[in-house]
Amino acid sequence: MAEALRLKPDREFVDEVIDAGGGDLKKCFQCATCSVACELSHGPSPFPRKEMIWAQWGLKDRLLNDPEVWLCHQCNDCSMRCPRGARPGDVLAALRQKTIEHYSFPSFMGRLVNSARAMPVMLILIPALLLGLAVLGRDAIGEALGLSDPHAAFYAEFFPHWLLIVFFTTLTVLTFLGLITGLVRFWKGMKNADEARGKGTPVQGVVPSVVTAVKDLLTHARFGKCGDQKARKNTHLMAFYGFLALFVVTVWATFDLYLFPVLGIESLYPFDLTHPMKVLANVGGIILVVGTGMAILNRLNAPEDGKHQSTSFDWIFLWLLFLVGVTGFVTEVFRFTVSPETMGTLEYTAYGFYFVHLVLVFGLLVYLPYSKFAHMWYRILAMAYAEHTGRTNGTESVEAVQIQKKAG
Amino acid sequence: MDKNVAVYLCRGCDIGAALDMDALKDVATDEYNIETCREHDCLCSDEGRELIRKDIQDGVNTIVVGACSQRFMIDRFTFEDVFTSRVNLREQVVWSHEPNDEDTDAMAQDYLRMGIVKGQKASLPVPLEEEVDRTVLVVGGGITGVTAALDSARAGYDVILVEREEELGGWMTKWAKGIPHEPPYRDPQPLDMDERIAQVRSNDRITVHTGTTVDEITGQPGQFDVTLKGNGSNGEPLRVGSIVQATGWKPYDPNRLGHLGYGTSADVITNVQMEEMLASGQVTRPSDGKPPRRIAFIQCAGSRDQDHLPYCSGVCCRVTVKQSLMVREMSPDTEAYVLYKDMRSPAQYEEFYKRAQEDPGIFFTKGEITGVTNGDATLKVTADDTLLGEPIELEADMVVLATGMVPRSADGEKIRKYVDAKKVVEKGEEGAQLEAAKETVEELKHLEDAEILNLGYRQGPDLPVLKYDFPDSHFICFPYESRRTGIYPSGCLRLPQDSSNCREDASGAAMKAIQAMVVTARGETVHPRWGDMSYPDIALQRCTQCKRCTEECPFGTLNEDPKGTPLLNPTRCRRCGICMGACPERIISFKDYSPEIVGSMIKAVEIPDEFEEKPRLLGLLCENDAYPALDTAGLKRIQHSAHIRFIPVRCLGSVNIVWISDALSRGYDGILLIGCKSGDDYQCHFIRGSELMETRSHNVQEKLKQLALEEERVRIELLPINEYERLPEIVNEFAEEIDEIGLNPFKGF
Repeated sequence: MAEALRLKPDREFVDEVIDAGGGDLKKCFQCATCSVACELSHGPSPFPRKEMIWAQWGLKDRLLNDPEVWLCHQCNDCSMRCPRGARPGDVLAALRQKTIEHYSFPSFMGRLVNSARAMPVMLILIPALLLGLAVLGRDAIGEALGLSDPHAAFYAEFFPHWLLIVFFTTLTVLTFLGLITGLVRFWKGMKNADEARGKGTPVQGVVPSVVTAVKDLLTHARFGKCGDQKARKNTHLMAFYGFLALFVVTVWATFDLYLFPVLGIESLYPFDLTHPMKVLANVGGIILVVGTGMAILNRLNAPEDGKHQSTSFDWIFLWLLFLVGVTGFVTEVFRFTVSPETMGTLEYTAYGFYFVHLVLVFGLLVYLPYSKFAHMWYRILAMAYAEHTGRTNGTESVEAVQIQKKAG
Repeated sequence: MDKNVAVYLCRGCDIGAALDMDALKDVATDEYNIETCREHDCLCSDEGRELIRKDIQDGVNTIVVGACSQRFMIDRFTFEDVFTSRVNLREQVVWSHEPNDEDTDAMAQDYLRMGIVKGQKASLPVPLEEEVDRTVLVVGGGITGVTAALDSARAGYDVILVEREEELGGWMTKWAKGIPHEPPYRDPQPLDMDERIAQVRSNDRITVHTGTTVDEITGQPGQFDVTLKGNGSNGEPLRVGSIVQATGWKPYDPNRLGHLGYGTSADVITNVQMEEMLASGQVTRPSDGKPPRRIAFIQCAGSRDQDHLPYCSGVCCRVTVKQSLMVREMSPDTEAYVLYKDMRSPAQYEEFYKRAQEDPGIFFTKGEITGVTNGDATLKVTADDTLLGEPIELEADMVVLATGMVPRSADGEKIRKYVDAKKVVEKGEEGAQLEAAKETVEELKHLEDAEILNLGYRQGPDLPVLKYDFPDSHFICFPYESRRTGIYPSGCLRLPQDSSNCREDASGAAMKAIQAMVVTARGETVHPRWGDMSYPDIALQRCTQCKRCTEECPFGTLNEDPKGTPLLNPTRCRRCGICMGACPERIISFKDYSPEIVGSMIKAVEIPDEFEEKPRLLGLLCENDAYPALDTAGLKRIQHSAHIRFIPVRCLGSVNIVWISDALSRGYDGILLIGCKSGDDYQCHFIRGSELMETRSHNVQEKLKQLALEEERVRIELLPINEYERLPEIVNEFAEEIDEIGLNPFKGF
C-alpha cells in the first residue's frame, strides 16, 4: 500500500474556491458522470472527478499544482449532466483563477486585481493617474532624457511616441518578469507535487511538449473537441488572432520608428491605410472587436440553462479586450478624419478617446499576469506539462495505456 | 345433507369449438348418472346464472362448473349454501392444447370426472363460531407501540399498552432532535413524542401499564389470555383478541468493535452515546472534557459486515447526517469527517444528505477503515479504497461509530430447543442424547430468560425468527405477517427503520391486528387464504401421537397434551393443510380438502392400458404460484403435454405421500409436484411447505425403490410465478423423460 495521504482539510481554501465561482462544489457525490461526459478527459483517474473531491476536502496543494485543471475549456457538458448540480466545469474555472492568484508575483497584485472592491481603483484610477502624470510631465521628461519624436504625428502631440514606448515597455518588462516568475513557480509546483506522489514520469521532452502545446493553442484543436461549443471556440480564436495581429503590428511599428532608422531602412511611419501592417492592424482589430463582441453577446444572451456562467474574472477581461479594440478604432477614425489644421474641441475629444484607450491598454497589459489574461500562459504551460508527463488525450498516461492493454 | 350434483358446461371462450361436448356430457350422465347436465354458450352471463339458479331452487346443492379456471368468475359461480366444484376447461385444456383432438377430449373428460368426484366428496365448510375479544394488546411503548395503540383506539378498539420501562416513549424520548420527515427535509427536526404520549394517556380506550412485562400468553387469536408481571399486574389474566409486538431494537454491542478503536480510547464512542451528548447540550471528549474540534464519523460500524451485522440498518447514515449538522450548529468551528461504505439516504432524505454535503465544515468520503489508533492527544483514522483514490490518514479528536440496530426479538423456536435440552440435562440419563443436549444448552445459554411474549405455544414461547433474528414471515409478499396468526411484529423489531417508517409500520400492524379479530369472528382465516372458512378436523381416536403435525405446522396451530396428542387451536390456523400432508394416519381433513377427496380425484382419472402406449401423468400444483402460472401460460396459448392431469393443492406441504403411492399403484407413469420456491429468499406462501415436501420426497424415493420403480417418476419443481413460461417446458420435458423410461409396470394390476 502506498503511503497514506494525510488529509488536512483546508476549509478556508474551500471557501475561496466557492467564492471564486465553485459555489456548488460541495454537492458532488463522486458518481463520475462528469468525467464520462467530458470529451477531453481520459485515463484511470480522470478530471474533473478527482478535482471535485480534492476541492471538497480543500486539498489546496494538490489543486493548485494540478495540470489537469487546465486541460478543461469549460464547455460545461459535465455541469449539464451532473445529477447533483455540482457544476464541475465552474469549479475547475474557479480553480484556474485560484492558481493564477496563487502564483502571482508580487502576490498582492493577484489579490488586488481580482478583488471586486479594488477593481475600479486598479483598472481606472491607477492607470489614469500614471498616464496623466506622464502626459503632464512629457516635455520635462523628454528634455531630461533627450528624447523626441522622429515624426510629428497627430496623437504624438498629445502623447509622444517615445513616451508611449518608454512608459509601456518599462511596464511590460516588469509585467513579464512577474509573469515569468509566476510561471516558473507553477512549473516547479506541478513537478514537486507529482514527485511527492511518485508520479509525473516524463514521457516526452519539454521542448516537443511545448511545441505540441503551442500547436494546440494555434489550432484550438482540443477546445474544438469540447462539447457543442463551436461558437465559443470560434470567438475565442478570433479574439486570440485579432490580439496577436495587433501585437505584431505594435512591435513592427516600434521597430519602424526606432530600429529601422538605426539599420538604415526607411521608416514609413505613420503608415497609410494601404500599408500591409496597417491592413493587418485593421483586419486584426475587426477580428478582435467582432470576436470579443460576439463572445460578450453570447454570454449576455446565454440561455439560463446553467451551461454558461460568467464570473467577474471572465467579464473584466472580456470587456477590456473589447473596449481596447473599440477605442482603438475610434482613435483611428479621428486620426484619419480630423486634420491637424482643424484644431478645437474635436481634437480634444480625440485625445480624450486616445487617453481612454491607453488606460484600457494599461489595464490589459500591466495586469496580464494576474487577470484572466494569464490563463493563456498558464494553460500553455500546464498543457506542455501534461504532454511532458503523458496526461493529455493523445498520449494518455503510461498507467492508462497499460490498463487499456490489459483490458485487451 | 344428501348430495344433489348438477353439471354445467360452458361453450364459451373456445371451449365448445375445441371439444366434443357430447362426449363430455356423456361422462356426467352415463358414468356418474348425473341427472342435471346442461350446456350454455356463456355460463357466466346472467342467463347462465339463471339456468343454475333454477336448478338450485329445484334442489341442486352441488354444482360442477366446466368452464374457466377456478381463479376467475368466482362470484358468478358462487351461490349461497351450494358447493361449487370448478373444472378448468379453458386455460388448462382448450387454450393449451390442440383443438378437436382425442387427447384433448380425454383430458377434458378426466378433469370433469375429477370435478364431479370432488363435488360428491367435498362439502361446504361450516364456519367456526368462537367468541372473539376485540381488544388489542400492544407490547412495547416506543414510537411504534404508541402509534399502534393510538391507531387501534382511533379505529374504535380497546387497547392494552404494556411497556417494560417506567415511562412511555422509548428511544424517541432520549434524543434531542430527529431526522426530518417533512419538506424541505433539510434540517434536524424536533421530536413530538411527548405529544403522542399525552394523546395515549388521555385516550379512554387505551390502558397503559408501564414498568410491566408479559408473564404469559395462552390461547389463540380472538381468545388470548394475557398475564402481566410488574406494576400493571393484578394476577388476573386479561383477554385480548390480537397482539402487536413492538419491542424495538437495541444498538449493536460496540465492545465487539475493537478493530474500530472502541475500547482503546475513551474518545471512540457510538452514535447512541453521541445522541446522549447532543441531548445533554454538550459535546465533549470523554477523555479530557474538552470540546472536540474534529469529529470523524465511521459509518457501517459493525454493519454490512459478515463478522458482525450482515445487514444495513438503513438509518445510521441519516443519523450521522443529523448528528454532524447538530454538532456544527452547536459549535461552527467543529469539522465533521464522514467515512462511509455507501451513503444511504433514500427518497426525500437525499435532500437531508445534500444539506450536510453543502456544509463546508462537513467532509465526506467513501472508505474502508483500516484502523483507528491513538496518536498524540488525537486519534488517527486510516482508510483505504477511498474516493480520493489512495489510502488516507485523518486526525480526529473524537470518533463516532455509527452502529446498527439489533431487533429486540426472542427466537421462540430456539428457546424451545434450549428448554428441551435443559430438561434432558436435568434428567441426566446417560447416552449420546445427553452429550448433544449439553452442547445445545451451552450454545444457547444466552437465551436464558430471553422470553418476551411467553406464548403458550408448543413450538416455543415467542415469534419464530427468520434471517438476522427478525420475526417476519413472508417478507416479499406479505410484509406485515408473522408466523403466529393474530400476532404482528412491527417497527424496528420487524425491520430496521426510522421513526417515520415505524409509524407507518405501526399503523399497518394495528390494521392487521384489527383485521385478524374481525375475520376470526367471521370464522375466516387471514393471509394468504383470505375468506377460507374450512379448518382442520382431526380424528383423534386414530392418532398415534407421532407429533408430526404439531411439529410441522408453520404457524404453531397445534399444542400437545403431555402424551403428544395434538390440541387444535383453530383460529391460529391458516388452512394450508401442511398438517394434513404430514399425517401418516391421514386423520386430518378439511371439509373441502382431504386425503380422501384428492385421493378420489386421482382415482377418477382413466388410465390408458399398456396397449394404448399413452402415458398418464399426475401433476400436483400449488395454488399460490404454480396454478396461476399455468393459467397464464394457457392465456398465452403456450401448449403443454395432454398426457398430464393436474390437481391444485393448497401448498406442496399439504401433499400427503399416500396420494403418490396410490397414484403409482393405480398405474400413473409419473408424478410432477410443482410448488413455490423455498429457501432464505423464500417465496412459499406457508413458509415451509415446499421445503417440507422436499424432505418428504426422500421417503417417496425410498418407496419407489421398494416398488422397483425409477426415481425419475416423481419429480419436484419449485417455480416462481413470473417464470410461467417455463412451466409448460417443465411439463413437456417431464413427459418426454417418462416416455423414455417407459410405462409404469403396475399398470393394469
